[in-house]
Amino acid sequence: MLLHAHTPSASYFQEGKMATAVPPPSRKEILSLFRSFLRSTRTFSDYNIREYTKRRAIDAFHHNKTLSNPSSVSAAFSDGKYQLHVAKRQALVYSIYSPTVKSIMDINY
Amino acid sequence: MASALRAAILGHLRVPVLANGSNLLTPLWIHRTTSVRSMSSHDDHLEKSQVIDRILDIVKSFPKVDPSKVTSEVHFQKDLGLDSLDNVEIIMAIEEEFKLEIPDKEADKIDSCALAIEYVYNHPLAS
Repeated sequence: MLLHAHTPSASYFQEGKMATAVPPPSRKEILSLFRSFLRSTRTFSDYNIREYTKRRAIDAFHHNKTLSNPSSVSAAFSDGKYQLHVAKRQALVYSIYSPTVKSIMDINY
Repeated sequence: MASALRAAILGHLRVPVLANGSNLLTPLWIHRTTSVRSMSSHDDHLEKSQVIDRILDIVKSFPKVDPSKVTSEVHFQKDLGLDSLDNVEIIMAIEEEFKLEIPDKEADKIDSCALAIEYVYNHPLAS
């Protein structure tokens, strides 16, 4: 009975230790994040910022491709998720204050 | 002044009516005499050769790809030396070209030109 009373606190400590060992993102999750980035760039109204965001996302993912340390992979992944939120927010802001004249690269002849 | 002029010009313009049997303008009794597929909603399905040409153009214009190596049987990672990120980019470009939305599960399986051509050709909403 006394042992039973101790185990909840012991398991709480165990859970605390387990929570720090989060598994690094899988290949599928990373590709899914990359795809979300590229989809979000489509909603930009301005040609320049759209191309920049696409280029920057591609460069960043390629740059971090060779990371092998799981904690740095997780750090890069969470940074990527944060940047995705930034991109989505900016797409919204750009669409509110979009210029009336479209960039010439947007016009298809 | 300009708006009155415009209204006058528009009132005098005559646009020729197209007589090729569009769905809304043909009365129902003409249905039997025009071509059988005039009411079919499957008319705008793409030709396979068109699909192949457009997809090969997309792959050839990808900066990391050597255009002379691109055929319709080519595998993105094995033959063209691309990696999975480039794969995602190419599938994005295909989505934009054909105005499709490819779900993640399907997109992960598209690894080669042949699979891409097959997927787009069999997709009902491709245009």
